[in-house]
Amino acid sequence: MNFANPMGLIWASLAIPIVIFYILKIRLRRVPVSTILFWRQIFEEKKPRSLWQRLRHLLSLLIQLTFLALLVGALTQPFFSWEIDAARRVVLVIDNSASMNATDVEPSRLARAKELGQRIIDGLRARDDMAIIAAGTQPQVICGLTGHQRTLHEHLTAVPASDGPTRLAESVALAGRLVNDDKGEPKHVQVIVLTDGCAKDFAEITKMDHVQIVGVGRRTGNVGITAFQARRSLLDPIGYEILTEVVNYSDEQVECRFEIDLNGDVIEVVPLKLAANEKWSKVLEKTSASGGLLTARINRDDALVADNRAVALLPHREYQPVLLVSATGDLFLEKVLEAHALVQLSVVRKPPAPSSPPRNGGDKGKDTITVYHHQVPNPLPPGPALVIDPDNGCDLWQVGDKVQNPLVTKQDHDSPLMAHIRLDNVLMPEARQLTFTPAAGKPHVLAAALTGEPLLVALDRPEGKVLILTVNLDKGDLPLRTAFPILVTNTLAWFAGGRGELREALAAGSITEVMLPQPSARQYLLHGPDGQIRKLPPGVARTTIGPLDQCGVWSIVVAAPGADPVQEIACNLANREESDLRPPEALPSLGEEPARAMGFAGRPIWFYLLVAAWLLAGLEWYLYQRRWIS
Amino acid sequence: MPLFDSDFLKKLEYLSLVSKRLFRGTLLAQRRTMQLGGGIEFADHRDYTPGDDFRYLDWNLYARHDELLLKRFQEEEDLHVYLLLDCSRSMNFGVPCKFNFARQVTAALAYIALADLDRIAVVAFAEDIIADFPLTRGKGRILALLSFLENLQPQGADTNLARVAGGFVHRNQRRGLAIVVSDLYDPGGFERGLDLLRHHRYEPHIVQIYDRREADPTNMLGDLELYDIETMQGRKVTITEKNLRQYRKLFEAFEQSVQRYGNQYGIGCTRTSTEIPFDELILKMMRAAGAVR
Repeated sequence: MNFANPMGLIWASLAIPIVIFYILKIRLRRVPVSTILFWRQIFEEKKPRSLWQRLRHLLSLLIQLTFLALLVGALTQPFFSWEIDAARRVVLVIDNSASMNATDVEPSRLARAKELGQRIIDGLRARDDMAIIAAGTQPQVICGLTGHQRTLHEHLTAVPASDGPTRLAESVALAGRLVNDDKGEPKHVQVIVLTDGCAKDFAEITKMDHVQIVGVGRRTGNVGITAFQARRSLLDPIGYEILTEVVNYSDEQVECRFEIDLNGDVIEVVPLKLAANEKWSKVLEKTSASGGLLTARINRDDALVADNRAVALLPHREYQPVLLVSATGDLFLEKVLEAHALVQLSVVRKPPAPSSPPRNGGDKGKDTITVYHHQVPNPLPPGPALVIDPDNGCDLWQVGDKVQNPLVTKQDHDSPLMAHIRLDNVLMPEARQLTFTPAAGKPHVLAAALTGEPLLVALDRPEGKVLILTVNLDKGDLPLRTAFPILVTNTLAWFAGGRGELREALAAGSITEVMLPQPSARQYLLHGPDGQIRKLPPGVARTTIGPLDQCGVWSIVVAAPGADPVQEIACNLANREESDLRPPEALPSLGEEPARAMGFAGRPIWFYLLVAAWLLAGLEWYLYQRRWIS
Repeated sequence: MPLFDSDFLKKLEYLSLVSKRLFRGTLLAQRRTMQLGGGIEFADHRDYTPGDDFRYLDWNLYARHDELLLKRFQEEEDLHVYLLLDCSRSMNFGVPCKFNFARQVTAALAYIALADLDRIAVVAFAEDIIADFPLTRGKGRILALLSFLENLQPQGADTNLARVAGGFVHRNQRRGLAIVVSDLYDPGGFERGLDLLRHHRYEPHIVQIYDRREADPTNMLGDLELYDIETMQGRKVTITEKNLRQYRKLFEAFEQSVQRYGNQYGIGCTRTSTEIPFDELILKMMRAAGAVR
């Protein structure tokens, strides 16, 4: 036997004063009595037990010394060498993914898993260490290796629920790294996984060594929204499309109603009748310039709530004032602009005076887009401008010779301006050769001829963006091609900035990158749908946020009271594995709990010594109260 | 604080009045003897015989029936009451002190007897007779008696009731009521002394006094040194709950032995705790018909 704290033996010296006190004769209390007749009868009857009377005091001393010995023994924390050899390193992997929020077992699968985990912690032996890892969204060490059961209980209780996916294999791998010591001996290592098995990688962990799976949950049917996305139409400026997918993850037919509303106004109701394991998917086309929050719901009470609701953010579309300056007029150009649902078109023959730049009424935040056809004022006025076939130069470029039959050989497909556009098969008999001045900065050539002459150039100057198309629209078939209205639409969207971009609804547990406006001046906060607030790193224009482990709308707001969100992100469960609440066959059924280890018997030796000391103290108290000892 | 103050005397007077009104001579004095003689209370008639005193002829009866009958009267004889007061050190115990209580009871009984025209004597004893208040009569002697009682002190090393009774019965005195006021803690046994009184045709009555702490000792657990205040003997003991229970049983057995002795020989026996005021005890004794007679 060894002692973890041999210094505790010093306390054994307390035996000396105890013995001294017993050796010293204690003065008895004198009590007068009127006659000793009766007492004499009592004690003379007990004469045969006089030996016991003498031993009584010795017994009292022995009890005291034994009590001290037990306490000193407990202080030294003795242990056997086999205890060290038999010590286990246990990792409790608890699945806190979205499917664990299912309520098929009361109150939920996660709560049940925690309850089982608490029992496992109670069963730890004295020298055992345990760590806790949460396997939802991202494997996370909730509590490092410790043998302190109260700490383990507290950390297990604090494991949060999430709507994220399950990461069992990664968690078990992390557990393996956590428990394997430097020698790499896997002896007495055990990984206990508390899961419902609703994960892609469940089969993988069933084959691993030292992994014990404890099943939570029953085979339960569920209907969930597995996909819900919205995007603006590429053709219709105010149109948008909704991608929906609903799956019946049950073994029987289910009837329910699928509803979609935009900012609270119902826009679609679909009665569904889904056979077992049937998937219903549909793309819905709607129109709305306003945009907002799209919410999809299934009116069915099932075990998992998270996938009965999905959200998506539809970008708002704003009307754009456009001033077409064309001395000769171009019907194609005019009609293309008029056809755009968001354009408020004005047509003039001559450019407006520089002293009164065209503005859209009192709306100072929106610059009027000026389209210069042939005529270009010098210098080019501030504000966004689309220049088509310029006849003259300005402060940004000089006009050169005409280019005959330019063939488009270079096209920047990555630019949003060139999305869905192909110019290589467009007949363009004539174009203008341009030479850009240093004031133009770095022109971004979106399309160029074989000879290198730029045909479509974007300038991003501080006074406003400029897009220059050098092709003569009167010649060639560009106005007749679908590429032309798409180019105009892309151009208008480019001028409008990112306000019309697609904002994808992310799956729960995702990590995404966001752009922050005016990063140096402000502190931004990320507000979760459940009210949680995370600080974003200050002073950066681009940052990564996540994992977004709760379904709903996440908001990035300035750290100021009452501030409006600067950006919103929709987050949905959108995970087929999590929505399917039917556990795999390999999952142990509920009730097959892990064999409890030692319980009370697994305590350290000092614990038993302490218990013995307390029992002895109780015995001494009992004996003293009955004056069997002094 | 004096033992016999004015309140005490008032209570004595009250007890005296109560005894007359309620018991009309059945307590102590006015005990009629069967001797007929020169009393004043009519008893019966007998035939006249020559030589009888003519003053006792019932002339009314002679006038009606023409028959000479002589009236007979019952002769009254006063009672001798001997109060044997235990003055041993064992009486000097308890709250209130048993000795004081015994002296109050003795004084009260003596006063009632004197008020009933009986004769009383007080014999103070411990291991032997230590003091005497001679036979006396009349309420006027009560103050002298109180003074005698007040001057008594607890003394003696060992109560010996047999020796006391032996000395008492061999005195040349009339027989009468012998009231023993004592705790009866006699190492040799109280019975021998009382037997002597009985055998010498005294009519004993026991007033046994004890303190509540004697009957039910408390705060006596653990290692103690008990010392007898009478013999001054000490004993180191360890008292347990079991010992206390044994003690209570022994004490109860002792009390029952006293009662049993009284019942066996038709002796009046009054056992009392000092917690009861002495006047209530006297009333209790009065109510117990024949307690003194």
